[in-house]
Amino acid sequence: MTKNLLYKTQRVYLIFSIAVFIVVAPLFYIITEKLYIKDTDETLITYKTEFLKKYILKLKETDIPVWNKFNNDIKIIKTKGLTDDSIFNTSHYNITEQENEPYRELYSPVIIEGKPYTFSVGVNMLESEDLMISIALLFIVIIILLLSGLFFINKELSLSLWKPFYTTLQQIEDFEIDKYELPQLSETKIKEFNRLNNSIFKLIEKNIKIYQNQREFVENAAHELQTPIAVFQAKIDTLIQGSDITEAQSVIFASLNNTVNQLKRLNKNLLLLSKIDNNQFEKIESFSIKKLIEKQLDFFIEQAEQKSIMIKINLQNDITVNADIGLTEILVNNIFLNAVRHNIKCGELYISLSEKKLTVANTGKSKQLSEEKIFHRFSTSDSSEQGTGLGLAIVKKIADANNWSVSYSFSENLHFFSVQF
Amino acid sequence: MKLLLIEDEQELAESIQSYLNNNEFVCERVSSLSAATEKILLYEYDTILLDLMLPDGNGFTILEELKRQNKTEGVIILSAKETLETRIEGFNLGADDYLIKPFHLSELLVRIQALIRRKQFSGNNKIVFNEIEIDLMSKVVKINNISLEITKKEIDLLLYLIGNKGRVLSKSAIAEHLSGDMADMMDNHDFVYAHIKNLKKKLKNAGCKKYIKAIYGLGYKWDDD
Repeated sequence: MTKNLLYKTQRVYLIFSIAVFIVVAPLFYIITEKLYIKDTDETLITYKTEFLKKYILKLKETDIPVWNKFNNDIKIIKTKGLTDDSIFNTSHYNITEQENEPYRELYSPVIIEGKPYTFSVGVNMLESEDLMISIALLFIVIIILLLSGLFFINKELSLSLWKPFYTTLQQIEDFEIDKYELPQLSETKIKEFNRLNNSIFKLIEKNIKIYQNQREFVENAAHELQTPIAVFQAKIDTLIQGSDITEAQSVIFASLNNTVNQLKRLNKNLLLLSKIDNNQFEKIESFSIKKLIEKQLDFFIEQAEQKSIMIKINLQNDITVNADIGLTEILVNNIFLNAVRHNIKCGELYISLSEKKLTVANTGKSKQLSEEKIFHRFSTSDSSEQGTGLGLAIVKKIADANNWSVSYSFSENLHFFSVQF
Repeated sequence: MKLLLIEDEQELAESIQSYLNNNEFVCERVSSLSAATEKILLYEYDTILLDLMLPDGNGFTILEELKRQNKTEGVIILSAKETLETRIEGFNLGADDYLIKPFHLSELLVRIQALIRRKQFSGNNKIVFNEIEIDLMSKVVKINNISLEITKKEIDLLLYLIGNKGRVLSKSAIAEHLSGDMADMMDNHDFVYAHIKNLKKKLKNAGCKKYIKAIYGLGYKWDDD
């Protein structure tokens, strides 16, 4: 599972903070409680010492009930047989609050008028509980403040620290190798990011160079092939003039002829692709798609007739585009050609021009083709077809160059190709 | 008719020369700019076939040279490089036609014929072949002086066939001639058959001799015997 960078660091901080909180909170509670109890015990001892110092000598046995009557916390009770001081936790029922309240009590053996008694002093621990709760609450508030502060500081810091990284990332995402635009990777104040930027820049530069070389290679190769193909063609043209050609030879020549034609087509398309790549078509003008289609239609109707294809044309809408007219013609031709070439005998062909969209639908193989693959070079679905495998790649390329989108779909046994202008 | 072929690719030049020499033409051949410059200085030609990329320079030099010498030879550029710029530059420098390699020899031949016809135009632009008469201006075809109802494309086909009389024309060559750039995109040349069939029928109905012969599997031939 992928999460963003910030999430990862924040998560570690959060886990650590929670762990610290879980460990420290009870510890804090225990220590505070211990301290408080110790404090209380000291208070109890002080009460006792004070009693022994101030009152015990003046107190008579008969005074004991009176003492007990007016003192709520310090009482003289019958001896418990203790020999030493004893401090313990207990609880008393509070009538006003109607609940048991925790007490810390001290029992100490005292002698009043020669008789053993037990001195009892208690401190209500309820206050201490309240105090503890207050302390715990305070503690939680501090922790939350600390955590959220940490969280935001960390977030802001990370964002500003990683900003150059995200800028670089955006640049790389926007980069397109065939646009020949080097990304603008600006200098940062962080060494590692500068290193990253430099490496990326070098990598991209190198790739562009390789891409250019490859493009040039395709173009040069296609150009260099023109002459040998021309010779091949001319030789065949000469050869078939022979007066003593047999039927068998004739068939061979015909197939040679087809081969050289295919070669010509292939080479022509490769040249075209590299020309588009090299932006050699930049005569942008405004023209009507409808007129362009009408101009080309005769040829395709003628072609379709050979396969007895029924054509239905709906050119009610017109689209005016700004583009290279020659290239657009090639795009339209290739789509039509594709629809005729891959059609079946007595098939159907629909051409319609709606608002901003040209759609061509044709019968053909009754199975969906892969939209992803169909616009790639040399992805012909059937090797028996004589296409160059470049027609739709050219369509895509031309569309891309003009920011038009091409799409393919298959429904009701029709293959739909459309161009959104 | 005298032609000068300036082409450095020997094999191609040889084929062009042999195809053209067969006809009413005499084709001379040079393979460099310097040899070509010498030739045009010394002789007059009806048409010059010019390759642009020559070992000792760019073929455009020849066009400039012709202009400088005020020569009016028709020039057809034969180039493997097709860009709009070179095309425009060629025409600006006085070229009459532009043919992109690879091309069919039959296509080259009819282009030469058309160019010569344009250059020699003298009010009467008619092609006569036995009983057939084609008026290029009014686009009228007459068989034994009777007008034939015929489409533009069929006239084009007829001219192409007659221009290449006695030669075997492959279906793809005919397809390319009829549909230009579109034809070599198309792998199916059956439409050629349909056109030939229609033309044959029209000519036959008009009482024309059967000149169009099918060559098994390969294509067609305009034969007069």
